[in-house]
Amino acid sequence: MNNAKRAGSARMKRNVFILSFILPTLLLYLVFGIYPLFKGIYLSLFDWSGGSETYNFIGLDNFKEMMNDDVIPKTIRNDYILVFGKIIGFMLISVFFAVALTRFNIKGSGFYRTIFFIPNVLSVVVVGVLWRYVYNPNVGFLNSAISAITGKTYDFAWLGDKWSIFALLPPSIWAGVGFTIILMIAGILAIPSSLYEAAEIDGASQWRQFRLITLPLSWEQIKTSVLWIVMTTLSGSFVIVTIMTFEGGVDNATQVMGSYLYMNAFKFGKFSYGSAIGVLILILSFITTVALQKLMNRENIELT
Amino acid sequence: MSRLFRKTMTWGSVLLMLTLVLSACGGSKEKGSESSPAASPKASESAKPSESASAPEDVKLTGDFEIQYFVGGYGDAWWKEVIGEFQQLHPDLKIKESAGPKINDQMKPRWIQGSPPDFVYIDGAGSNTRQMVTDDQLLDITDWFKTAQNSDGKLLSDMLIAQPEEYQAGKVHAVPLVFGSWGTFYDKALFKDKGWEAPKDFESFLALGDKIKADGQMSVYIHTGVYPYYINGGLLDPAIVAMNGYDTSIVKKINSLEAGVWSSEPVKKALDKIVQMRDKGFFDKGSPALNHTDSQSQWLQHKAAFIPNGLWVESEMANDTPAGFDFGFLPSITQDNGGKYVANPYVATVAIAKKAKNPDAAKAFLQFLYTEAHGKSWAELSKAPSNIKADLEATNAPALTKEASRFYNSDSTVVSPEVVIPEELVTERNNATLALTKGDITPEEWIDRMEKATEKIRSKENK
Repeated sequence: MNNAKRAGSARMKRNVFILSFILPTLLLYLVFGIYPLFKGIYLSLFDWSGGSETYNFIGLDNFKEMMNDDVIPKTIRNDYILVFGKIIGFMLISVFFAVALTRFNIKGSGFYRTIFFIPNVLSVVVVGVLWRYVYNPNVGFLNSAISAITGKTYDFAWLGDKWSIFALLPPSIWAGVGFTIILMIAGILAIPSSLYEAAEIDGASQWRQFRLITLPLSWEQIKTSVLWIVMTTLSGSFVIVTIMTFEGGVDNATQVMGSYLYMNAFKFGKFSYGSAIGVLILILSFITTVALQKLMNRENIELT
Repeated sequence: MSRLFRKTMTWGSVLLMLTLVLSACGGSKEKGSESSPAASPKASESAKPSESASAPEDVKLTGDFEIQYFVGGYGDAWWKEVIGEFQQLHPDLKIKESAGPKINDQMKPRWIQGSPPDFVYIDGAGSNTRQMVTDDQLLDITDWFKTAQNSDGKLLSDMLIAQPEEYQAGKVHAVPLVFGSWGTFYDKALFKDKGWEAPKDFESFLALGDKIKADGQMSVYIHTGVYPYYINGGLLDPAIVAMNGYDTSIVKKINSLEAGVWSSEPVKKALDKIVQMRDKGFFDKGSPALNHTDSQSQWLQHKAAFIPNGLWVESEMANDTPAGFDFGFLPSITQDNGGKYVANPYVATVAIAKKAKNPDAAKAFLQFLYTEAHGKSWAELSKAPSNIKADLEATNAPALTKEASRFYNSDSTVVSPEVVIPEELVTERNNATLALTKGDITPEEWIDRMEKATEKIRSKENK
């Protein structure tokens, strides 16, 4: 009897303890995560300028307008150029360096790890401004270097061209690759060295070791990295675009969904239309994430 | 010991950061609370409705009076001075200033909630007079403005260089206070050095451009490609007016979103000027990637001879201007041989909130502002021309301001109305013009895009 009571109060204590962790977080999540999400969806059904006192309910008209907006396809294209460009760039570089820093006994690998991670600490704003100087057509580092090598003045406007969106890839990769390198290093270090030793004795080349041991056993890290890239790019490419090409480059050449949302909501006085673009971003991120997750679902290889 | 020390240091620095962040928040909060709704929205009880629109000293003003003004490149010295004078004139009035570089964003919630300040100076990022009129936030002062006099007993409308823009046909909502103009800028010292002469018309501009190109030291014309409204304001708009035989009515047609205005002959001719400059290779190739500071500093470093810009450029670049640089200003470069200059203005306006709690004080303040003395003090304190007619020659205004004001007062210059079109159309025009300067599109495509975009907005506004 007494024992049961004690057990009950202990369970209650435990529940209160758990609740005290969950409740505040849940509350914050609801206020700062869920409420704005639904408010955004709600606003996308109105014709609200962002500054007026009147809201006109117009149903799905904003989405119909989106269908006829020539800029929207461009922004989606640009977003996916960034997503896939970044996935390829990030994964090639981070797998290469992670393997190099763990599997080959390079002197001072700790030093390199720090070096690669430094750009991650910098704010994207700083990165953008730095790279604007690199790309500056008349006084920039890149064009000066090309001019010096070729001996002719080279004044190509890297950020002022139809395809400038590709010029945004190097800075975005440079700014974030440190994180995935660290992730991959952690993944590779968790693989028991006995596997490699056994492979070595069997005479497997480094390439075979990479293909048959490193890649399958660090697949979880690769998957995490790719999803992280997709989600941060679709929701955050706005920053690098705005910092480096301001209003979306030449004739929307670098406009992405996020920056176009901003232009509509805060510049054109079409806050609701901006919200509708936000809904589009939400849907596309969701589809892309799910699709990639399905695509990359390999059989989990467990160590026994 | 050392661990304890480290721990204390860590926590100390965390605390320090927190305090800093919080105090920063607190600081801005304080400013915010300054601009929070007045505790007692007492309307002026004793003041009669000033339909008579007489000189403001006659009326005794009481109650609260809130003024919102943006503080940017022009500073706030002038505002402090005139508000001080106004307060002395009306000691019973409780004047509250809501001001700062972020004031437009800070006050936005109050405009949305319907408890705006009484008087607003509309300028700076996040402000747009046309949008405020569309959102029905500003008081319609059409009838009052017709007879309103300033403190000196002169008709208010007689004091203005640029008349109020009609955001809705036949209606006055806001009065321009700042008047400056776009134009083409060059370095007088450099031109003297090289023996070049500032062009008087498009023909001489092209000839000089060829010379500059042949000289091989710099490109002819650099512009702010990231914000193409610089080239629209400095080059295209004056060209349109000049090609319309200096008849400024075309700007009104543009502003009222008239169908077919972009495909009219004057616009075609103006676009052709850009095409000619492009085909001669006058545009600096780097321009499309440059923002205003980039393009301006490269122009100051003589990487290019001309730049389209606004009169603010002198004070904006004051810290980066090399010694001996002498700012020269031409209102326009696209006029035909023997033609006039076209000055394309930019204005910032003042207005009274539709839901003002003390509209009488706001009207009186408006009348108080527009005197010649205040026009002069604006030029001196804000280092830029104002929209108030005043003779600046004897003042301490900067040289460029005086030079510009000489142009405005000259018979050989036509002052056109400002092009004010919805922000969305501004952006479409920016994109199209930049694409045209790069040769990505033809003038016909430019016209086509503009007509389409205008049609889209027109159909929406007429809904």
